[in-house]
Amino acid sequence: MLKLSALLFFLFSLSFAQLRVVATYPWIGEIVREVGKERVSLYVIAKPTEDFHFVVPKPSHIARLRNADLLVINGASLEVGFIPPLLQQSNNPKIQPGREGFLDLSQFMELIEKQENVSREMGDVHPEGNPHFHLDPHNIPVLARAIGDRMCQLDQKNCPYYRSNLEDFLRRWNTKLKDWDAGFSRLKGLRVMQYHKTYNYLFKRYGIETAGTIEPLPGIPPTAKHLERLKREVGDRGVKFVVLEGFRRGERSAEGLAQTLKVRVLVLPQDVGVEGAKDLFTLFDEILRRLSQ
Amino acid sequence: MKKVVLMLSIFSLSFAQENLQELRRQLEEQRKLIRELEKKIQTLEKAQTKREEDRAKPAPADRSIQLRARFEDRLKAYQVSPFKQTALLPDISFILDFSLVGRNRKDQEFHELVIPRLWHRHEEEHGHALLNDRRGFNLNYGELFLYAPVDPYFDLYATIPFSDHGAEVEEAYAVTRGLPGGFQIKVGKFRSSFGRLNPQHPHAWDFATQPLPNKVFLGDHGLVEKGVGINWLAPTPFYLLLGAEVLQGENDQSFGYRGFTIEDNNTHNTFSLEDKPVPNLYLGFVKTSFDLGNLTVLTGFSYAQGKHRHAHGDHGLDAKTRLYGFDLTARYHIDSFRYLALQGEYMFRDQDGTRYGFNNAGALVTRPVERKQAGFYAQLVGRFHKQWKAGIRYELINKNSVRVGGNRVATPSNLPAYYAMLEYSPTEFSRIRLQVGENRAFYEAHGGRFERKPVKEVILQFNFAIGAHGAHPF
Repeated sequence: MLKLSALLFFLFSLSFAQLRVVATYPWIGEIVREVGKERVSLYVIAKPTEDFHFVVPKPSHIARLRNADLLVINGASLEVGFIPPLLQQSNNPKIQPGREGFLDLSQFMELIEKQENVSREMGDVHPEGNPHFHLDPHNIPVLARAIGDRMCQLDQKNCPYYRSNLEDFLRRWNTKLKDWDAGFSRLKGLRVMQYHKTYNYLFKRYGIETAGTIEPLPGIPPTAKHLERLKREVGDRGVKFVVLEGFRRGERSAEGLAQTLKVRVLVLPQDVGVEGAKDLFTLFDEILRRLSQ
Repeated sequence: MKKVVLMLSIFSLSFAQENLQELRRQLEEQRKLIRELEKKIQTLEKAQTKREEDRAKPAPADRSIQLRARFEDRLKAYQVSPFKQTALLPDISFILDFSLVGRNRKDQEFHELVIPRLWHRHEEEHGHALLNDRRGFNLNYGELFLYAPVDPYFDLYATIPFSDHGAEVEEAYAVTRGLPGGFQIKVGKFRSSFGRLNPQHPHAWDFATQPLPNKVFLGDHGLVEKGVGINWLAPTPFYLLLGAEVLQGENDQSFGYRGFTIEDNNTHNTFSLEDKPVPNLYLGFVKTSFDLGNLTVLTGFSYAQGKHRHAHGDHGLDAKTRLYGFDLTARYHIDSFRYLALQGEYMFRDQDGTRYGFNNAGALVTRPVERKQAGFYAQLVGRFHKQWKAGIRYELINKNSVRVGGNRVATPSNLPAYYAMLEYSPTEFSRIRLQVGENRAFYEAHGGRFERKPVKEVILQFNFAIGAHGAHPF
């Protein structure tokens, strides 16, 4: 009996030994994994094959949030459709906004395309600015540091371990950054069409131009009229690709537009786990490789 | 002499020459002076005109002046509203539900129909119209929804529907946000967590109408009660929620605590019963969910128990109600938008009590009553495009057994209704839904006899939401 209870206690304490982290998107999970390695237990809510705006707030996520020590979100209203109801039902005071266990990464970023005045007639615009900042490789070190700092705060015992992992990750990242800077710089002046303003941070940094978006307004599906206008206005202005996020592969409006413009549809990974992006490094490798075709 | 003259002339010539040079020099100097003076005058003139221009222009852009001006502005602003708290405004949203209804029964006839031994129309309350109640255009509700954290310890939610007739506080409750151990407590007036559909707001439903079991057992407005609720989320790797609620019990259909007075039509004899002790309604539920790949299953069991006092005309009922509910939702997600969802609920009501009435002589007659009634609905809804959804629903009351004084009362017990709907949502904030169907549960009452009056309906429903409205749970 004593042995059994000792074993139970051991298992119990083992399950509590790790820092339990819930991340909303796979790329956030990748950073957490780089910093925490086997000393964190990680749960990622969104699948890379899902549209990042429309993740389903399944009850199974609530069960994971209930026991979490830290919730890391992208922020800037990207998760507004699923995190609030999940948080409300999580019955977990530690990860509520305003507490130490709640980390909103958008707070560490200078957002672009910030709107002074927003109205829903402009479609699904985020008043905070464009929330897809993770697709600029230069933002990753800032975000990684923010995550590392918070993990240190919550789990001081393992802080030196997290710090050394973080430094190691940043060293490898900064080496790769030089390659990416060189590679992407060669694409300066490239003109593409996008479905949604997903890659604007990346394109802005390296001077890749977006000739237009297939969505007439953010979050509003393409209309025949808008596509007609795009064809007319952008028709012969040297667009090379119609760029689609991984989760939108096979989108018919993009295929149709590409056909009339006589260009290719180029599917890029938008997160780790789709279109050949196995981790954060290969995410940018793959984007660069595909854009350089 | 000649020599002297020559010398003199040479001398004078040279002198004159010298003199001439001197003169030229002086002239040159004077010219220079004049030029300098001219220049000076010009610059002076320029300065003069510039000064005039400057005088015409506004004050120079002096940083300190700007700062002082801004500071003064701010000073003024603070003096006007020094304790402005607009940053702390709660999330405010407004939801409109509007419909166009076509029905094969005139309103007057429709309003007299009953569902035998289960439901009859109640007087319309202020602020809360019955949904799609009349032929033609219906303003079902315009609902004001408020949410904000109260402080680090509580969140507050309020739902205030407005109708043609007024407003009502449908919900106003606070929820804890910091309890340890997976507990959460709710106090105020709220939609009870009984079953699947009851906790959801009507604008989150998949159909424009309520299914029959909800209508007859929980009422047209659902089980919305004042009270306190507690739930506990188990620390399991899958979703397991246990909850209990203690409620006032003011439901017209199953849990009314209020006493009544009945009066005999002929003799005007009366009989009264007092209010039941409150709280009158106790409720418990367990819900669990798990994922099988892209399939999410959510299922729950609910139980409610309370006393029920209810009078209708010259007779009244005093009973104990036990209500059992079972719900199951299985949703298969094809991608972020497309899914196929099967949802069903079964409810069983068990009532034991006494029926009060008068005999022909006007004397009070009390007889034991036993009612066992049950029904279910099952719906299949497919969202086959980001903006399009379609569904069908079958509803059935399959048990309607009533015994008065030990004798079975003849009652129709096969009461179905079926609907189909198609909806188009341009965005998450607007929705247009077409629903067609037939309700065969409605009867016309002739004393103790019932005659079926099927109601065929076409409903074109419009929903619009503005403002800050939170996403709905699964």
